[in-house]
Amino acid sequence: MSSPTDPAGLGDPVTLQIIQEALTGIGDEMFAVLKKTAMSPIIYEVLDAGTAVTLPDGDLAASGSGIPTFVGVLDKAVKRILELHGAPSPGDLFVTNDPYFGGVTHLNDVVLALPVFAGDTLIAWTANIAHWSDIGGRSRGSMSTQATEIWQEGLRLPAVKLFDRGRMVQPVLDLVMANSRLPEFVRGDLWAAVAAARAGERAVQALAAKYGVAVFRQSLRDFLDTGEAVTRAGLCRLPHGRFAVSEGQDNGEVWSAEIEISADAFVVDLRHAPDQSAGPYNTSRDGAVIAAQMILKSITAPDTPLNGGSLRPLTVLTRPGSRFHALPPAPHGFYFETRIRLHDLLWRCLADHLPDTLPAGGFASICGTVIAGPNPDTGRRYTLVEPEIGGWGASPGRDGVSALFSGVHGDTFNCPAEITEARYGLEVGRLALNDEPGGAGRWRGGRGIVVDYRVRADDTTLTCGYTRAVQPPWGLAGGGAGTPNRVEVIRAAGAIERHAIASDIPLAGGDTVRVITGQGGGYGDPRQRSAEAIDRDRRDGWERNQAAAE
Amino acid sequence: MPDDPSAPKTIRVATDVGGTFTDLVYFETDRGTGEQAVRTAKVDTTPPAFEEGVLNVLAKGGVDVGTVDFMAHGTTVVINALTERKGAKVGLITTQGFRDVLEIARGNRPDFFNLKYVKPEPFVPRYLRREVPGRMTFKGEERQPLDLKELDLILADFRADGVQAVAVCLLHSYANPAHEQALTAAIAERWPEVTVVSSHQITREWREYERTNTAVLSAYVHPVADRYLGRLTDGLGAARFDGSLYIMRSNGGVDTVEATRQIPIIMVESGPASGMLGAAELGRRLGLPNVLALDIGGTTAKCALIEGGQVRVTSDYWIGRSRKSAGYPIMVPVVDLVEIGNGGGSIAWVDDFGKLHVGPQSAGAAPGPAAYGRGGDQATTTDANLALGRINRDFFCGGEVVADMGAVDAALDRLAARLEVDRREAARGVIRIANNNMINALKLVSLNRGHDPRDFTMIAFGGGGGMHAAALAGELGVRRVVIPAEAAVFSAWGMMMSDLRRDFFVTHLVDATPAGLADLAATGREVERSALTAFADEAIAADQVRFTRFAKMRYQNQEHSVEVPLPDGDFDKQGASVVDAFHGLYEREYTYRLDAPVEAIGLHIIATAEVGKLQPVRLPSNGADAAAAVKATRNVDYALEGVHPATIYDGDKLAPGMRFTGPAVIEETGTTVVVHPGQSVEIDDYRNIHILIGQGG
Repeated sequence: MSSPTDPAGLGDPVTLQIIQEALTGIGDEMFAVLKKTAMSPIIYEVLDAGTAVTLPDGDLAASGSGIPTFVGVLDKAVKRILELHGAPSPGDLFVTNDPYFGGVTHLNDVVLALPVFAGDTLIAWTANIAHWSDIGGRSRGSMSTQATEIWQEGLRLPAVKLFDRGRMVQPVLDLVMANSRLPEFVRGDLWAAVAAARAGERAVQALAAKYGVAVFRQSLRDFLDTGEAVTRAGLCRLPHGRFAVSEGQDNGEVWSAEIEISADAFVVDLRHAPDQSAGPYNTSRDGAVIAAQMILKSITAPDTPLNGGSLRPLTVLTRPGSRFHALPPAPHGFYFETRIRLHDLLWRCLADHLPDTLPAGGFASICGTVIAGPNPDTGRRYTLVEPEIGGWGASPGRDGVSALFSGVHGDTFNCPAEITEARYGLEVGRLALNDEPGGAGRWRGGRGIVVDYRVRADDTTLTCGYTRAVQPPWGLAGGGAGTPNRVEVIRAAGAIERHAIASDIPLAGGDTVRVITGQGGGYGDPRQRSAEAIDRDRRDGWERNQAAAE
Repeated sequence: MPDDPSAPKTIRVATDVGGTFTDLVYFETDRGTGEQAVRTAKVDTTPPAFEEGVLNVLAKGGVDVGTVDFMAHGTTVVINALTERKGAKVGLITTQGFRDVLEIARGNRPDFFNLKYVKPEPFVPRYLRREVPGRMTFKGEERQPLDLKELDLILADFRADGVQAVAVCLLHSYANPAHEQALTAAIAERWPEVTVVSSHQITREWREYERTNTAVLSAYVHPVADRYLGRLTDGLGAARFDGSLYIMRSNGGVDTVEATRQIPIIMVESGPASGMLGAAELGRRLGLPNVLALDIGGTTAKCALIEGGQVRVTSDYWIGRSRKSAGYPIMVPVVDLVEIGNGGGSIAWVDDFGKLHVGPQSAGAAPGPAAYGRGGDQATTTDANLALGRINRDFFCGGEVVADMGAVDAALDRLAARLEVDRREAARGVIRIANNNMINALKLVSLNRGHDPRDFTMIAFGGGGGMHAAALAGELGVRRVVIPAEAAVFSAWGMMMSDLRRDFFVTHLVDATPAGLADLAATGREVERSALTAFADEAIAADQVRFTRFAKMRYQNQEHSVEVPLPDGDFDKQGASVVDAFHGLYEREYTYRLDAPVEAIGLHIIATAEVGKLQPVRLPSNGADAAAAVKATRNVDYALEGVHPATIYDGDKLAPGMRFTGPAVIEETGTTVVVHPGQSVEIDDYRNIHILIGQGG
């Protein structure tokens, strides 16, 4: 179809833009379906999930809501599926959770990818990822600090077909259910993911049918080209040069990274990373790339959609066999803490130079918390899986934000105490802002939280993955450091244990699990804090918070 | 009822206080002949004394207030107090260990690449958030008794700090409000003159942050709204009003002034709700029970889906929520609608990468669109409609304003230069992008919820509804569009069509077994009993009240539920068919069903009572040909369909039975209806305009 404004029949600019906005809408639509149909609170309440539409070759076209680091997985998963399987057929649907087979993260995160066809032509993929509460392995909730090989972390789904030309491959579902401690939940979550992918498929097909495949493709090309132009314009505004950072970690290691920024490239050099770990503290190379993508997007154009084009100027250099580019059979269970440490490291690398975009250091941990056991009210077994919220760093002109999910999360929600009590049979003793001293500054850090879970039944276990548990969040420009994240187990008899990374800690009825997340780092000299702000701190009961650092 | 059967006429009026204008619709029905006369009027809204605008519009409309039998009233006073932060100083009392919940909120960051995100600030600062010991369980059993020994101290502090209203929210009060009731009573006893709002009075659903924030916002607007309703009642009384006054609520029904004064937060979305309710009622009357309702105003467009004549009502309602902000939850029954920043005054702009956008910034009433000639130099949707000949430049705003076409051309030329196209293409682009924004909103309420828009009729209203509806319908495959006779003041019209309606959402978790459903049914009976008692107190007899019940059901372990309509009577005795209905509804929305246990998380019970709403009568057809209404022909640019010579009709001269075909434009005082080439038009017996699209094509 050609017209005076569209002589080539490839769509006028307004039409191309209308298709692009529709694609963004499709990402959101898939996310809404996933959220409404999932069985596990970690998906429907916490929204630990992501959706996307990709080009036929896997480049990200449009992402939905949810967790941006999850969306960043999906393009890489599709690319790996194409590598492994070649051209897909109509009616196929692939499932993977394995970081060595396009899964990128850890075995708990299950990716579904559906090739979308217009007739016989592959025009796009719809894909989604969500955290499943249990995929087998040696620990409840599947994340074990004891794992030394990926086989100990659960069932591996190496990018296999769940549907083959429209027919369901029942044995795959049977294997999944047989390998999970929560078979009914994983079945529900799997079907929720299928429904979401199909909702996206229908919508993409309708779009291509309406405008024609040629215009649809042109629109995607234009979308990615615009994404690239947006990033390049952002790069032009950044300070150019080579920036380096080194930082001590909780375990005593020192990690370093370098970033080189120029008008047309953003190069992240991670080749000095430590060797891959014998424990589950590794990330795939793709995982490291996602950390770099997040930083690049946040400092160039946080207001516009992310797509494959936005990422073209990015180069990430890694060393195979390192912490950020692990090779089989390294385990990945706690990859999320490694990846957020990397994200925070890159953030810190540039924070001094970009005070308008990057606040001081925050609690910056997923603080993954898993409590599993019998619900004394129903007798059914449950697995609570939650990331935690904490304090963010301050920046010039404003205090840090309190009680927010980490920088690699997005539209993620905490679980209400009323729902936790009803669902799991735990008692929530309090949900409060953390008032310990820390994060002082002319503008002070935001506050973390304190949550008490009182356990009511024996045979319960705790697994946790917290970092910044020793090295606190960093202040900027003379601002004070924040405070560390940790979990305390307060035994019924009164003894207190402190944990950060641990799995299968036995709990009995009467024990309390106390989650404590840190205060963010401050900005500027605390002695310059305004009298008005000090009055407000005192009025609101934060004098302890500020005083200690003065 | 003050409705005097010996009087020759029944007089009903509706007044709607909007952000810019206060509208009046006046209906006079002759008891003998059934003949009806209608008048409308519009005046400026008069903040902060909104009630003055109401009295002004009644005066302007020539209404003898003393003769009015029924008055419905809608107002933005609540949402205004919230968005402008002009409410009371609130103190919050909550469960020990949970005072920070209001500030913690849900911890989400919708603007997820922005590392300098700011959380919405809580309506109560920390020093005014206090705690009392005492715990209920989720089953409503007392785990720890309520301890009020600190209460005197707390209230003394609140007094010293100038607190004007106290909000109370305790954990699990949705399951058992005994502690909240005891605390509320203790506050009232110690401090009788302060307003106390307790969460269970507003909602019986779980999620402590949402419920706490609801109680807080309700307390925040309570004094303002109470004063307003008091002054309105007094003002009307002074004008000798002795009819029945009903207030529009957000759930698409009206309620008495007394009930509304107790929980004024329920008025939060009253204006938008009444338009949607009007669309549902109009659809029912026309035998069109499935409706996509679209309301296009000056700054926003709103849409809702109506199925089987029923508007969907939800308590998952947030103000100020967007991709940039988490917003604030208010757990009250609100018509389920999607609102976008896209109206006649929305500003068109070009980003750094040459992409054209429309809204959400609006030129508002001042300076307004460039065409107003009041210094607006940015092109708006209205300006593009003028430039393309869709709006008559010689009949702008019903002829009340001379369109400044020089300013329109200059504004569009600036846009065109940025886009590197000519002026006409720029104007077409603005219309197409504006339409696309609305298409996406309409998809959110239809396709994204498993409904095919082709099965629906579009009812479009508001000043801009008629301008865009036919194009949107064509795009979505909708075959019939109805533009109501009173499209420009349809929200006020909708209020007169409303029943008295109260929605009750109750969280009560049970397995969908015979025992569980019997338990749930008992809860339902209790809710209905207390509803009837409240109605009886307001002189509404039990036989006037009708209950509609839904169970909120899901597969065990899910969170989001599906509303399953329940049969009348003891629904638990028909448990199997209720569960079957759940499986069916679930599969339609989500494409699959599971062989898994089903549970119910509670009930949604709707109580309605007829309180004398308007019954419009059919008008006779005088057999006149549509040619009688033709006033001109002019070239109109239909964007994608190009320029066509369109017949221009005078909307005020259209009569029942007239038919014609597009390209055409219908011009009325408050609105313009654009009919595309190939579409046909029929005027029905109520003078509504029906546009039929692509019949057989």
